Amino acid sequence: MANPLRFLVVDDFSTMRRIVRNLLKESGFSEADEAEDGVVALQKLRNGNFDFVVSDINMPNMNGFQLLAEIKKDDKLKHIPVLMVTAEARKEDIVLAAQQGAAGYIVKPFTKATLEDKLIHILKKTGLQ
Amino acid sequence: METSDAPQGAGEAENSDVHHKIGQLTRQLHDTLRELGMAEKLRGSAEELPDAKSRLSYIAKLTGEAAEKVLNRVDQAKNQHDYIAAETLRVKALMVQNPVAAVAKGHIMNFLTDMEQSSKEIDQHLTEIMMAQDFHDLTGQVIARVVNLATTIEDQLVSLLIQTAPPQTVVTKPSAPSVEGHPVLQGPVINPEGNTEVVTSQSEVDDLLASLGF
Repeated sequence: MANPLRFLVVDDFSTMRRIVRNLLKESGFSEADEAEDGVVALQKLRNGNFDFVVSDINMPNMNGFQLLAEIKKDDKLKHIPVLMVTAEARKEDIVLAAQQGAAGYIVKPFTKATLEDKLIHILKKTGLQ
Repeated sequence: METSDAPQGAGEAENSDVHHKIGQLTRQLHDTLRELGMAEKLRGSAEELPDAKSRLSYIAKLTGEAAEKVLNRVDQAKNQHDYIAAETLRVKALMVQNPVAAVAKGHIMNFLTDMEQSSKEIDQHLTEIMMAQDFHDLTGQVIARVVNLATTIEDQLVSLLIQTAPPQTVVTKPSAPSVEGHPVLQGPVINPEGNTEVVTSQSEVDDLLASLGF
Protein backbone atom coordinates (compact mmCIF):
# COMPACT_ATOMS: atom_id res chain seq x y z
CA MET A 1 0.00 0.00 0.00
CA ALA A 2 1.39 3.39 -1.00
CA ASN A 3 2.54 5.65 1.83
CA PRO A 4 1.75 9.37 1.45
CA LEU A 5 5.05 10.55 2.99
CA ARG A 6 6.98 12.82 0.64
CA PHE A 7 10.72 12.19 0.20
CA LEU A 8 13.50 14.35 -1.22
CA VAL A 9 16.45 12.38 -2.61
CA VAL A 10 19.66 14.44 -2.83
CA ASP A 11 22.68 13.12 -4.75
CA ASP A 12 24.89 14.56 -7.48
CA PHE A 13 24.77 11.25 -9.40
CA SER A 14 21.51 10.73 -11.27
CA THR A 15 22.06 6.96 -11.21
CA MET A 16 22.05 6.93 -7.42
CA ARG A 17 19.00 9.19 -7.26
CA ARG A 18 17.13 6.74 -9.49
CA ILE A 19 18.27 3.76 -7.42
CA VAL A 20 17.15 5.36 -4.16
CA ARG A 21 13.83 6.49 -5.65
CA ASN A 22 13.14 3.02 -7.03
CA LEU A 23 13.99 1.44 -3.68
CA LEU A 24 11.68 3.87 -1.90
CA LYS A 25 8.94 2.99 -4.37
CA GLU A 26 9.50 -0.74 -3.79
CA SER A 27 9.19 -0.05 -0.05
CA GLY A 28 5.86 1.69 -0.60
CA PHE A 29 7.03 5.31 -0.70
CA SER A 30 6.12 6.51 -4.17
CA GLU A 31 6.08 10.24 -3.42
CA ALA A 32 9.64 11.41 -4.05
CA ASP A 33 11.43 14.29 -5.71
CA GLU A 34 15.13 14.75 -6.53
CA ALA A 35 17.86 17.37 -6.11
CA GLU A 36 21.41 17.23 -7.48
CA ASP A 37 23.07 19.19 -4.66
CA GLY A 38 22.42 20.94 -1.37
CA VAL A 39 21.54 24.27 -2.96
CA VAL A 40 18.76 22.82 -5.11
CA ALA A 41 17.63 20.63 -2.20
CA LEU A 42 17.29 23.60 0.12
CA GLN A 43 15.24 25.51 -2.46
CA LYS A 44 12.93 22.55 -2.95
CA LEU A 45 12.59 22.00 0.79
CA ARG A 46 11.67 25.64 1.37
CA ASN A 47 9.18 25.65 -1.51
CA GLY A 48 7.74 22.19 -1.03
CA ASN A 49 6.19 20.06 1.59
CA PHE A 50 8.61 17.23 2.35
CA ASP A 51 8.56 14.75 5.21
CA PHE A 52 11.93 13.05 4.78
CA VAL A 53 15.33 13.75 3.22
CA VAL A 54 17.75 11.10 1.94
CA SER A 55 21.03 12.86 1.19
CA ASP A 56 24.49 12.13 -0.12
CA ILE A 57 27.41 14.03 1.49
CA ASN A 58 30.04 14.56 -1.19
CA MET A 59 28.33 16.96 -3.62
CA PRO A 60 29.32 20.16 -5.41
CA ASN A 61 28.01 23.64 -4.47
CA MET A 62 26.65 22.59 -1.08
CA ASN A 63 27.61 19.25 0.43
CA GLY A 64 25.48 17.05 2.65
CA PHE A 65 26.91 18.38 5.91
CA GLN A 66 26.17 21.95 4.87
CA LEU A 67 22.68 20.96 3.78
CA LEU A 68 22.09 19.21 7.10
CA ALA A 69 23.26 22.30 9.01
CA GLU A 70 20.96 24.55 6.95
CA ILE A 71 17.99 22.27 7.56
CA LYS A 72 18.63 22.08 11.30
CA LYS A 73 18.89 25.86 11.73
CA ASP A 74 15.68 26.51 9.80
CA ASP A 75 12.68 26.46 12.15
CA LYS A 76 10.36 25.32 9.36
CA LEU A 77 12.60 22.46 8.25
CA LYS A 78 14.44 21.25 11.33
CA HIS A 79 11.80 18.62 12.16
CA ILE A 80 12.46 16.78 8.87
CA PRO A 81 14.56 13.62 9.41
CA VAL A 82 17.71 13.49 7.27
CA LEU A 83 19.19 10.11 6.40
CA MET A 84 22.73 10.34 5.07
CA VAL A 85 23.58 7.82 2.32
CA THR A 86 27.21 8.26 1.41
CA ALA A 87 30.54 6.71 0.46
CA GLU A 88 32.23 8.74 3.22
CA ALA A 89 33.31 6.01 5.64
CA ARG A 90 35.53 7.95 8.04
CA LYS A 91 34.44 7.63 11.64
CA GLU A 92 34.82 11.36 12.15
CA ASP A 93 32.30 11.99 9.35
CA ILE A 94 29.79 9.60 10.93
CA VAL A 95 30.22 11.24 14.33
CA LEU A 96 29.92 14.71 12.79
CA ALA A 97 26.70 13.75 10.99
CA ALA A 98 25.23 12.41 14.24
CA GLN A 99 26.27 15.53 16.15
CA GLN A 100 24.70 17.76 13.48
CA GLY A 101 21.39 15.97 13.83
CA ALA A 102 21.32 13.34 11.08
CA ALA A 103 18.64 10.75 11.73
CA GLY A 104 20.73 7.93 10.27
CA TYR A 105 23.87 7.09 8.30
CA ILE A 106 24.25 4.51 5.54
CA VAL A 107 27.58 3.76 3.87
CA LYS A 108 27.59 3.03 0.14
CA PRO A 109 27.43 0.46 -1.34
CA PHE A 110 24.31 -0.54 0.54
CA THR A 111 21.47 -3.04 0.17
CA LYS A 112 17.73 -2.63 -0.15
CA ALA A 113 17.33 -4.29 3.26
CA THR A 114 19.66 -1.75 4.92
CA LEU A 115 17.73 1.19 3.49
CA GLU A 116 14.40 -0.32 4.53
CA ASP A 117 15.68 -1.04 8.07
CA LYS A 118 16.88 2.52 8.55
CA LEU A 119 13.70 4.04 7.09
CA ILE A 120 11.45 1.99 9.36
CA HIS A 121 13.62 2.76 12.40
CA ILE A 122 13.64 6.52 11.72
CA LEU A 123 9.95 6.70 10.84
CA LYS A 124 9.02 4.93 14.08
CA LYS A 125 11.41 7.05 16.14
CA THR A 126 10.09 10.31 14.70
CA GLY A 127 6.47 9.25 14.87
CA LEU A 128 5.97 9.53 11.13
CA GLN A 129 4.76 5.93 11.00
CA MET B 1 94.36 -6.86 -30.40
CA GLU B 2 94.85 -3.10 -30.50
CA THR B 3 92.48 -2.65 -33.44
CA SER B 4 89.69 -4.56 -31.71
CA ASP B 5 90.24 -2.88 -28.32
CA ALA B 6 90.24 0.65 -29.64
CA PRO B 7 86.53 0.89 -30.68
CA GLN B 8 85.46 -0.84 -27.44
CA GLY B 9 87.44 1.64 -25.41
CA ALA B 10 85.93 4.50 -27.37
CA GLY B 11 82.45 3.09 -26.76
CA GLU B 12 83.05 2.86 -23.02
CA ALA B 13 84.29 6.43 -23.01
CA GLU B 14 81.17 7.57 -24.87
CA ASN B 15 78.93 5.68 -22.43
CA SER B 16 80.76 7.19 -19.53
CA ASP B 17 80.34 10.63 -21.08
CA VAL B 18 76.59 10.10 -21.57
CA HIS B 19 76.21 8.93 -17.98
CA HIS B 20 78.18 11.93 -16.82
CA LYS B 21 75.94 14.31 -18.80
CA ILE B 22 72.75 12.64 -17.50
CA GLY B 23 74.14 12.98 -13.99
CA GLN B 24 74.84 16.66 -14.57
CA LEU B 25 71.35 17.26 -15.96
CA THR B 26 69.78 15.45 -13.04
CA ARG B 27 71.79 17.50 -10.58
CA GLN B 28 70.86 20.74 -12.42
CA LEU B 29 67.18 19.77 -12.45
CA HIS B 30 67.30 18.89 -8.77
CA ASP B 31 69.02 22.18 -7.87
CA THR B 32 66.63 24.18 -10.05
CA LEU B 33 63.58 22.54 -8.53
CA ARG B 34 64.94 23.19 -5.04
CA GLU B 35 65.75 26.83 -5.82
CA LEU B 36 62.30 27.37 -7.28
CA GLY B 37 60.64 25.71 -4.35
CA MET B 38 59.02 23.21 -6.71
CA ALA B 39 60.63 20.09 -5.29
CA GLU B 40 58.26 19.81 -2.35
CA LYS B 41 55.19 20.36 -4.52
CA LEU B 42 56.26 17.78 -7.09
CA ARG B 43 57.24 15.33 -4.37
CA GLY B 44 53.78 15.72 -2.88
CA SER B 45 52.17 14.95 -6.22
CA ALA B 46 54.51 12.04 -6.84
CA GLU B 47 53.56 10.56 -3.50
CA GLU B 48 49.93 10.61 -4.59
CA LEU B 49 50.65 8.60 -7.74
CA PRO B 50 50.61 5.16 -6.04
CA ASP B 51 47.30 6.23 -4.50
CA ALA B 52 46.04 7.06 -7.99
CA LYS B 53 47.09 3.58 -9.13
CA SER B 54 45.11 2.06 -6.27
CA ARG B 55 42.13 4.18 -7.21
CA LEU B 56 42.25 3.07 -10.84
CA SER B 57 42.51 -0.57 -9.70
CA TYR B 58 39.51 0.03 -7.47
CA ILE B 59 37.53 1.33 -10.48
CA ALA B 60 38.47 -1.73 -12.53
CA LYS B 61 37.49 -4.01 -9.64
CA LEU B 62 34.16 -2.30 -9.02
CA THR B 63 33.11 -2.15 -12.68
CA GLY B 64 34.14 -5.79 -13.13
CA GLU B 65 32.12 -6.90 -10.12
CA ALA B 66 29.09 -4.90 -11.28
CA ALA B 67 29.24 -6.43 -14.77
CA GLU B 68 29.57 -9.92 -13.29
CA LYS B 69 26.67 -9.34 -10.92
CA VAL B 70 24.42 -8.03 -13.69
CA LEU B 71 25.24 -10.90 -16.06
CA ASN B 72 24.62 -13.50 -13.33
CA ARG B 73 21.28 -11.96 -12.44
CA VAL B 74 20.28 -11.69 -16.11
CA ASP B 75 21.10 -15.41 -16.56
CA GLN B 76 18.91 -16.30 -13.58
CA ALA B 77 16.07 -14.04 -14.73
CA LYS B 78 16.22 -15.52 -18.24
CA ASN B 79 16.00 -19.03 -16.80
CA GLN B 80 12.93 -17.97 -14.84
CA HIS B 81 11.46 -16.42 -17.97
CA ASP B 82 12.07 -19.59 -19.98
CA TYR B 83 10.36 -21.58 -17.24
CA ILE B 84 7.32 -19.26 -17.29
CA ALA B 85 7.09 -19.48 -21.09
CA ALA B 86 7.31 -23.29 -21.06
CA GLU B 87 4.79 -23.67 -18.23
CA THR B 88 2.37 -21.29 -19.95
CA LEU B 89 2.45 -23.39 -23.12
CA ARG B 90 2.02 -26.62 -21.14
CA VAL B 91 -0.96 -25.37 -19.12
CA LYS B 92 -2.49 -23.75 -22.21
CA ALA B 93 -2.39 -27.17 -23.94
CA LEU B 94 -4.07 -28.77 -20.90
CA MET B 95 -6.79 -26.12 -20.99
CA VAL B 96 -7.40 -26.67 -24.70
CA GLN B 97 -7.51 -30.44 -24.18
CA ASN B 98 -9.86 -30.50 -21.19
CA PRO B 99 -10.54 -27.25 -19.31
CA VAL B 100 -12.61 -28.86 -16.56
CA ALA B 101 -9.96 -31.49 -15.82
CA ALA B 102 -7.21 -28.84 -15.87
CA VAL B 103 -8.99 -26.95 -13.11
CA ALA B 104 -10.19 -30.03 -11.23
CA LYS B 105 -6.75 -31.67 -11.16
CA GLY B 106 -5.18 -28.48 -9.78
CA HIS B 107 -3.03 -27.72 -12.85
CA ILE B 108 -4.32 -24.14 -13.02
CA MET B 109 -3.88 -23.46 -9.31
CA ASN B 110 -0.37 -24.93 -9.35
CA PHE B 111 0.45 -22.83 -12.39
CA LEU B 112 -0.78 -19.62 -10.71
CA THR B 113 1.20 -20.38 -7.54
CA ASP B 114 4.31 -21.03 -9.64
CA MET B 115 3.84 -17.77 -11.51
CA GLU B 116 3.46 -15.82 -8.30
CA GLN B 117 6.73 -17.24 -6.99
CA SER B 118 8.54 -16.76 -10.31
CA SER B 119 7.46 -13.14 -10.62
CA LYS B 120 8.76 -12.46 -7.08
CA GLU B 121 12.12 -14.01 -7.97
CA ILE B 122 12.36 -12.05 -11.22
CA ASP B 123 11.59 -8.87 -9.30
CA GLN B 124 14.48 -9.65 -6.92
CA HIS B 125 16.81 -10.14 -9.90
CA LEU B 126 15.72 -6.80 -11.35
CA THR B 127 16.29 -5.06 -8.01
CA GLU B 128 19.80 -6.52 -7.78
CA ILE B 129 20.53 -5.43 -11.36
CA MET B 130 19.44 -1.93 -10.42
CA MET B 131 21.56 -1.94 -7.24
CA ALA B 132 24.61 -3.04 -9.25
CA GLN B 133 24.48 0.32 -11.02
CA ASP B 134 25.73 2.04 -7.87
CA PHE B 135 29.23 1.55 -9.27
CA HIS B 136 28.58 4.68 -11.37
CA ASP B 137 28.40 6.86 -8.27
CA LEU B 138 31.30 5.20 -6.44
CA THR B 139 33.70 5.10 -9.40
CA GLY B 140 32.66 8.60 -10.49
CA GLN B 141 33.89 10.02 -7.19
CA VAL B 142 37.20 8.16 -7.51
CA ILE B 143 37.68 9.24 -11.13
CA ALA B 144 37.14 12.86 -10.08
CA ARG B 145 39.98 12.58 -7.58
CA VAL B 146 42.37 11.02 -10.11
CA VAL B 147 41.51 13.75 -12.63
CA ASN B 148 42.18 16.32 -9.91
CA LEU B 149 45.63 14.81 -9.29
CA ALA B 150 46.45 14.80 -13.02
CA THR B 151 45.39 18.46 -13.23
CA THR B 152 47.59 19.35 -10.25
CA ILE B 153 50.65 17.64 -11.75
CA GLU B 154 50.02 19.30 -15.12
CA ASP B 155 49.72 22.68 -13.43
CA GLN B 156 52.96 22.19 -11.51
CA LEU B 157 54.86 21.08 -14.61
CA VAL B 158 53.55 24.04 -16.61
CA SER B 159 54.62 26.40 -13.80
CA LEU B 160 58.07 24.80 -13.82
CA LEU B 161 58.27 25.23 -17.60
CA ILE B 162 57.35 28.90 -17.36
CA GLN B 163 59.85 29.60 -14.59
CA THR B 164 62.74 27.81 -16.31
CA ALA B 165 62.11 28.98 -19.89
CA PRO B 166 64.90 31.09 -21.51
CA PRO B 167 64.06 34.83 -21.41
CA GLN B 168 63.47 35.06 -25.19
CA THR B 169 60.91 32.25 -25.10
CA VAL B 170 57.35 33.32 -24.53
CA VAL B 171 55.57 30.65 -22.54
CA THR B 172 52.08 31.40 -21.37
CA LYS B 173 50.22 29.41 -18.80
CA PRO B 174 47.10 27.82 -20.28
CA SER B 175 43.93 28.84 -18.58
CA ALA B 176 43.00 26.24 -16.02
CA PRO B 177 39.77 24.38 -16.62
CA SER B 178 37.15 25.13 -14.05
CA VAL B 179 37.38 22.44 -11.44
CA GLU B 180 34.46 22.16 -9.11
CA GLY B 181 35.45 22.71 -5.48
CA HIS B 182 38.44 20.83 -4.13
CA PRO B 183 37.12 17.79 -2.37
CA VAL B 184 37.74 18.01 1.33
CA LEU B 185 35.77 14.80 1.67
CA GLN B 186 37.52 11.51 0.99
CA GLY B 187 34.99 9.59 -1.11
CA PRO B 188 34.97 5.78 -1.23
CA VAL B 189 37.63 4.01 0.84
CA ILE B 190 40.04 2.27 -1.52
CA ASN B 191 42.26 0.38 0.94
CA PRO B 192 40.36 -0.11 4.19
CA GLU B 193 42.68 -2.88 5.48
CA GLY B 194 44.39 -1.79 8.67
CA ASN B 195 42.84 1.69 8.57
CA THR B 196 41.21 2.27 11.94
CA GLU B 197 39.91 5.69 10.92
CA VAL B 198 37.25 4.28 8.59
CA VAL B 199 34.36 1.85 8.84
CA THR B 200 34.20 -1.12 6.50
CA SER B 201 30.59 -2.20 6.91
CA GLN B 202 27.16 -0.88 7.79
CA SER B 203 27.24 -2.82 11.08
CA GLU B 204 30.33 -0.83 12.11
CA VAL B 205 28.45 2.39 11.34
CA ASP B 206 25.54 1.21 13.48
CA ASP B 207 27.86 0.18 16.34
CA LEU B 208 29.62 3.53 16.26
CA LEU B 209 26.34 5.46 16.31
CA ALA B 210 25.01 3.21 19.08
CA SER B 211 28.14 3.91 21.15
CA LEU B 212 27.33 7.61 20.81
CA GLY B 213 23.78 7.06 22.01
CA PHE B 214 22.04 7.28 18.63
